[in-house]
Amino acid sequence: MISHLVCALSLVVFFILQTTIFSQARLVAGSADLILLFLVAWSLQEQVKNSWLWTIVAGLLISILSAMPFYAPLIGYVGVVAISKSLQRRVWRTPLFAMLIVVLLGTFFQQALYVIVLLISGAPISWSQSLDSVILPSVLLNLIFALPIYAVANDLAGRISPLEVET
Amino acid sequence: MKFLNFRNLQTIILIVVVSGLLFLALSGYFTPVFNLSLNPLISLQSWLSVRYLSARDFLTTPRDVTQLREQNAMLESQVTQLQTQLIVMEERLGEAQVCFALLDFGRTNPQYSYIAATVIGREISPFLQYIIIDRGTNHGVRYGMPVVTQQGLVGRVDAVIAGAARVKLITDTTSVVNIRLQSAGIEAQLVGSLTGDVSLDMIPLDQVVEPGDVVLTSGLGGNFPPNVFVGQVLSTQRRDNALFQTATVQPIVDFESISAVLVVNNFQAVDITPLIPEP
Repeated sequence: MISHLVCALSLVVFFILQTTIFSQARLVAGSADLILLFLVAWSLQEQVKNSWLWTIVAGLLISILSAMPFYAPLIGYVGVVAISKSLQRRVWRTPLFAMLIVVLLGTFFQQALYVIVLLISGAPISWSQSLDSVILPSVLLNLIFALPIYAVANDLAGRISPLEVET
Repeated sequence: MKFLNFRNLQTIILIVVVSGLLFLALSGYFTPVFNLSLNPLISLQSWLSVRYLSARDFLTTPRDVTQLREQNAMLESQVTQLQTQLIVMEERLGEAQVCFALLDFGRTNPQYSYIAATVIGREISPFLQYIIIDRGTNHGVRYGMPVVTQQGLVGRVDAVIAGAARVKLITDTTSVVNIRLQSAGIEAQLVGSLTGDVSLDMIPLDQVVEPGDVVLTSGLGGNFPPNVFVGQVLSTQRRDNALFQTATVQPIVDFESISAVLVVNNFQAVDITPLIPEP
């Protein structure tokens, strides 16, 4: 129960930070996505079992609040967490490395999805300009913020359900 | 002769000697003797005095430090309070300046009525240029209402709920605004881009557009009121084999630092989509 509460509160905090500060702190036209970073970091925690649920909840809420059509944020977040879960099983001994890999792949996946959705909806954007101005700067910013967000998620998960130490 | 007895004679001699010594002392004849005898005494006195003062300072200083620390803490507390008050005052001054500017815009454009709103957030996706304002249907904001600042055009309301609304900026990639170049009297379209830059499209090739030309809304299309300031032309581009020329525009509104806006609530946007023939 407390895990759900902490996750919900964290998402609220990161949503507020994202809309008020991080959406304005831009590199070229790209920006960091704290919610994506938190969902990835949360899903990589071994003791966390509710990451799918909160990914869907966060994706639905962001889809409603965002102007992005076709529930693209929901699909993007679910896809990124799917990448995270599949990588977690392969590189479970080095979660920090997994975090960076998932952020790299996940950001590319999410932004490419957004470009496709916008192109379908008729927005006059090009792949090359999207890559130069938005995707690559966003990947860089997400990688920069990945470690602090992972530390926060790791600390929260550790406090909620500390791992049993083998003696 | 009894007067000159031994005792009287002794007294007289003593008075004469004392008077002589006083006379000699006052005349300065005894100064070397006095110096010789008093200097060690003065040295001893000053040595003792310095040691006494040092000892007294040593014993009384801790009490002074405590008092000074208390005073320092009190003064620091006052400084903190004053700094807090200063920050609050500066914030209020900034808000007042924005309000005065918006009020000034309202006075110069009395044909419209406005709802003042504060920008409380921005779109999460970097591909889209939207802002979120703190006024919604409860305050009279409706879908499609134009949004301006004291400087010029910002965008239009794209979605609205009870207490907030989402505004599509004119810098968004999907935004198209029909405009008029004031000096040349040319009508064209203002389109946004991924990077937040805006440019003019659909300018006929035979028209001359100069850098510095003022860009105003034309009112065509029914989405925005006419004659709202948008920006100025920076440069023009002509491409071979192109049907139209394009121009980059410097928007008058600084979309990065926008903090308060006015929603024009008595302008009725007209949806002409059903009138546009489908290809």
